Amino acid sequence: MEPGGSDMHALVGAYAMDAVSDAERAGFERHLAGCSSCSDEVRELREATAQLGAAAAVVPRAELKARALHAVTQTRQLPPLTSPASRAGPAGAAGAAAAGIRADRTRRLAPRLSAAAAVVAAAVIAILAVAMHGDQHQLDQAQRRSQAIAAVLTAADAAMLSAPVSTGGTATVVMSHAERKLVFTAAGLRALPAAKRYELWLMGPRGDKAAGMLAASRTGMTSPVVVSGLAAGDRISLTVEPASGSKRPTSPPLLMLGLRSR
Amino acid sequence: MSESHQGPGRPPPPDALRPVGASRLDDLLAAVARGDEGAFDALYDQAAGKVLGTVRRVVRDPAQSEEVMQEVLLEVWHSAARFDARLGSATAWIMMLAHRRAVDRVRSEQKAAQRELRAATADIPYDEVTEAVETSLDRERVRRCLTALTELQRESVTLAYYRGYTYAEVAELLGLPAGTVKTRMRDGLVRLRDCLGVE
Repeated sequence: MEPGGSDMHALVGAYAMDAVSDAERAGFERHLAGCSSCSDEVRELREATAQLGAAAAVVPRAELKARALHAVTQTRQLPPLTSPASRAGPAGAAGAAAAGIRADRTRRLAPRLSAAAAVVAAAVIAILAVAMHGDQHQLDQAQRRSQAIAAVLTAADAAMLSAPVSTGGTATVVMSHAERKLVFTAAGLRALPAAKRYELWLMGPRGDKAAGMLAASRTGMTSPVVVSGLAAGDRISLTVEPASGSKRPTSPPLLMLGLRSR
Repeated sequence: MSESHQGPGRPPPPDALRPVGASRLDDLLAAVARGDEGAFDALYDQAAGKVLGTVRRVVRDPAQSEEVMQEVLLEVWHSAARFDARLGSATAWIMMLAHRRAVDRVRSEQKAAQRELRAATADIPYDEVTEAVETSLDRERVRRCLTALTELQRESVTLAYYRGYTYAEVAELLGLPAGTVKTRMRDGLVRLRDCLGVE
């Protein structure tokens, strides 16, 4: 029995209408996995909300159909699940579909598969670390972050760029202009003195904007940083700054990557 | 319409009202899972309007809504083999993907610029049900069932579903405790389910 089970169950209506935060959604889906009466209720309420949606039907512009049919000819389908994981309940099925898309998006981004795998692996490692050593709040935060990462990796226009960092190591960026976000990760970065950190910047027509600090890492493999507010014409750069962060870059960029969509 | 052509004891099957050659969405989705592009074509005809309508309610911007609709339909194609009929109908699955994606879209924008909640009460969402392009019996039935809810239930359900607000946002908007809104959402949906005769 999960702590706070009944309170959690009161969320069923809000959950069926997606009227919950990402963290609550994740929490409720954990609850669902162990509660068969809940998944029955979710299933029934979803049928009702589907009718709310159906009642709002409009007629799409005719040309959209040709576009959809064309897109389908260009898109690989996921195979069915064959493991017992496919029996995980409604949340499991939705999650599995999302995970499947994630995996498949990564495949579509081959030939640079290994770099994409590195992004995902770093995300997973970061979450596992929190799961083992963190509290519920930190875990929720990690999950929110992993969802933000997944949103970028699964965006229809996700594109990956990779470039060497001038002092050593490789930076990999997966960006989505539609989501206005990118995920940044790096491997093999030179270790810095304790008082210094790597800092990310979005540099664009509107000026330079601090975009996050990379956590200190002994292995040189940084956990992914999600950068929001990506605008047309932005470039991402990396500098070395005091560990407390800077308002603007105070050292020459070690990396400068244009973020043009293709 | 007269029922005199129907023989006694042989009510028309529900499918009789659909155009000739149309199949149930569940069957179409199963065929789509096997890579049948023709089935996707037919599925599009049945589902696209519902998907776009749902997304439009939440996203509002017409161009963005069309974009989200395309993403949803592509996701249906992509993940069709992962659909599990034991967990609900094809319609419910597709509408869940549509609504969730619409909500995710507005929330990701909302983070950049906090969405304003104003003006929502002045514009009662459930009345919008009557504004849409098509008219249908289903629509009429939903409208009738919505009016059968208490005002608080109806507001909680429509603000959440048609506006994409979280229960916390709805609570803020209605000036009620979040726990109350959570409960009203559940009660409202249960009543809606019973009224609509969902199995």
